Formats: sequence, C-alpha cells, structure tokens
Amino acid sequence: MARCRRSGPPGCFLAYRLPRDPSTPRSSLWRKLRRLGAAQLLDGLAALPLDARNREQLEWLADEVIEAGGEATIWVGELASAAQERELGTRMADAIAAEYRALIDDAAAARAERPGQRRRTLGRLRRELRRIRARDYFPPPERELAQQAVDEVAALVEELVR
Amino acid sequence: MRWATRRHCHVDRAACAWLIRRFLDPEAEFVFVEDPDDVPADATPFDMRGVELSHHGGDCSFETFLRRYEVVDPVLWEIAKVVHEADLADERFDAPEAPGLDVLLRGLSMVRDDEELLALSGPLFDGLYEYRKRALLTGREPA
Repeated sequence: MARCRRSGPPGCFLAYRLPRDPSTPRSSLWRKLRRLGAAQLLDGLAALPLDARNREQLEWLADEVIEAGGEATIWVGELASAAQERELGTRMADAIAAEYRALIDDAAAARAERPGQRRRTLGRLRRELRRIRARDYFPPPERELAQQAVDEVAALVEELVR
Repeated sequence: MRWATRRHCHVDRAACAWLIRRFLDPEAEFVFVEDPDDVPADATPFDMRGVELSHHGGDCSFETFLRRYEVVDPVLWEIAKVVHEADLADERFDAPEAPGLDVLLRGLSMVRDDEELLALSGPLFDGLYEYRKRALLTGREPA
C-alpha cells in the first residue's frame, strides 16, 4: 500500500454550511473563528493547528452551526503538500503580523497622550496583545516588536508614577 | 445519581461538577469517558457534544445547567459569567477573573487526574461563591 511519505503538523478542520438567512449565526461564527485565529481555507472550511483546546472550540462551533440549521463536521488531518502547508503557515503569520503592526502604531500614538489617558491606553494595549498572542500559532518577528512597544508605554507610565 | 462527562476536565466541567454536588445532587458520582458512546446507560451526560446539558446558543455548559434547572441565585449567574469567559473568552461578559481561573485550572489539570481536579477545584468555587455573594450583598468588592 502506498504510504504517505511526510507527516506535517496535524490540523483540525471545521467543514460547515450555514443557511444564508438569518445572517446572525454566520457573523457570530465568523467572529469566533477569527478570535481563535482560524484560517478560512474556503467558504465553509476553516483550519486551526490541532491541540485539545482548538479541537474542543471547533466542536462547540460545529454544534452552533447545527443548532442554527446548518451542517458541520470536524476533521483532523494534514495537508498532503509540504509547500502548501508552508504557504498556509505564512498566510496565518502574515495576518497576525498585521495585527501586531496595528498594535505597534497604537503604542506609538500613546506616547503623545496625556498621562491619565496613556495609563488607560496601556491597559487596552496589554489586553489586545494578550488576545493576539492567544491566536498566534506561527509567531512572526512583529510579536517581539509589539511586546517591546507595549513595554515602552508601560515604562513611560511607570516613570510618571515615581 | 451518576453523571458522565469527558476526560481531562477543564474549567466548565469542573464548575458544572461543583454545581451538581453543591446544589443539585450532593450524592453525585462522576464518570469520565473518552467518547460520548462510552457514557453508561444510568448516567446523565454533561458538557459533551450532542447532549442537553452542554453548550447551547453560545452558552457554556454551566450556563445551560442554570437555565435547565431554572436556577435564579444571582451569585451563581455571576459565577457563570466568569466560567463562560474562562471557557470561551468570547467577550460576551466582562469577567476579569476569567483568564486567571483558566490558567489555574488548566495548570491543575496538568498535574492531577480528573477526580483530584474536582476535589481541589471544589473549595475554589466555594470561595468564589462566598466572595461574589459578599460583593453582591454589600455592593462592593470584599476586602
């Protein structure tokens, strides 16, 4: 029997079909997939690196799709082509990198803010950084830069306290 | 009564088990299974796909329990917000305790089996209940 020669990191896939109307379950699903950092491979096919948590989260989403009158199945597997797998990893890293860059811009803008405002912005930046890191499966260099940018705002806030 | 849920419990299952023992069935016995098909015939399944006492309409299983059993205790609904955010982190609620609870229970599940996890997390939820109760009664965070 022909055997698959390579074994890439396994992924967890949600294949789904949702009725066009109403649109609320569709946008709720989209929001939740985005929060998890899932790659939308096709309309109705989303992927995440396989771990217990991601699999469970996708299973709950599958149930939500079914409750909304749609169809959904969960698949575990790997891409057969190493090149396409790299491409997918790059695509996911690029999307996350853009989020880090937006955060870095916000952190730069915070430097010009008044101290009280800057302290509140710091809280928001830290929460946002945590949210992005939670869905960052292929860390790009921007991750470290974003951390530094937030640390610098924290240092400014701290300076004014002393 | 016997209750069944998935192995390797995390925050939602731990909170449900606490709710069951403390408020619904003091004699509760828990069975942990790998697959929904392994649920014993005499056990009530929860926090598993396709069962009634599980996630529904964006609610986590703890919230579903409160709804199905028509629980009105406002303290439990406060705890439900924390459990929901610790489990799903979808920002439906503002629950600053949630990320901490998530990490504590996730870590505990790495070093203890399910029975021990429930035994250890029970008093934690007792404490969370007492804290939230006092906060609700006095209108401020207890010191």
